[in-house]
Amino acid sequence: MFPGGLGFLRPPAEIELRAYGLDLRGLRVADIGSGEGRLALGAARDAASVLALDPDRGALARGRSEAKRQGVSNVKFSEGAAQSLRLPDASFDVVIFSWTL
Amino acid sequence: MVDALQEAHRILVERGVFVDARPDSRVSARVRAGSARGRVIGTIGSQRPTKTDDRLSDKAIANVLGRRLFRSRRRGRLWHAIPFEDSDELNDYLKDHLRFSKRVRWLAPAARRRTTPLFVERAVRFEILEKA
Repeated sequence: MFPGGLGFLRPPAEIELRAYGLDLRGLRVADIGSGEGRLALGAARDAASVLALDPDRGALARGRSEAKRQGVSNVKFSEGAAQSLRLPDASFDVVIFSWTL
Repeated sequence: MVDALQEAHRILVERGVFVDARPDSRVSARVRAGSARGRVIGTIGSQRPTKTDDRLSDKAIANVLGRRLFRSRRRGRLWHAIPFEDSDELNDYLKDHLRFSKRVRWLAPAARRRTTPLFVERAVRFEILEKA
């Protein structure tokens, strides 16, 4: 129905990240509520590492496949909810809630 | 929502950056004819529950700012265009949409039956916060 699939319903990662005006080079980024990793995969181009966290296992599986297809190795897809993150204190430089709150 | 923001605060380093980005339900989406920069021929509002949810999200952000967990660094808005083949496809899409109103407010009666491409341009607002 939509060219390019459902990803078309959200801005391309590069446009959204450019609007934020952040320099992600060398940073540890957490994309909370990542879905299929649209933004996480975009952030991975500059960031040192990206955690893509979402409660939807299916979306995470699709994200892993897409990362593999793109040859992106610095994104980790993990299951979890924003309200109770099983992550250490002070472990990220940037946390993104895009379409999450 | 505040719980999630507190968790984001916890996992951030000192002066780490938090980004909140969401569709802006305070601004109607614009339906443009022919291209993403074409003439505006209609608008689409947001459903009432969506506006309520967004106000709660705004309150959650205000809460963590008020408690000085974060300080605001910058805010802004971007526009995103979603393509549709024609008005039938757009109407089908709106039937199941959770945020948009179910129907377009067409600015001209003829626009209701467009058989050429349409673009729905929606506002996305974002705020950049810094861990205080």
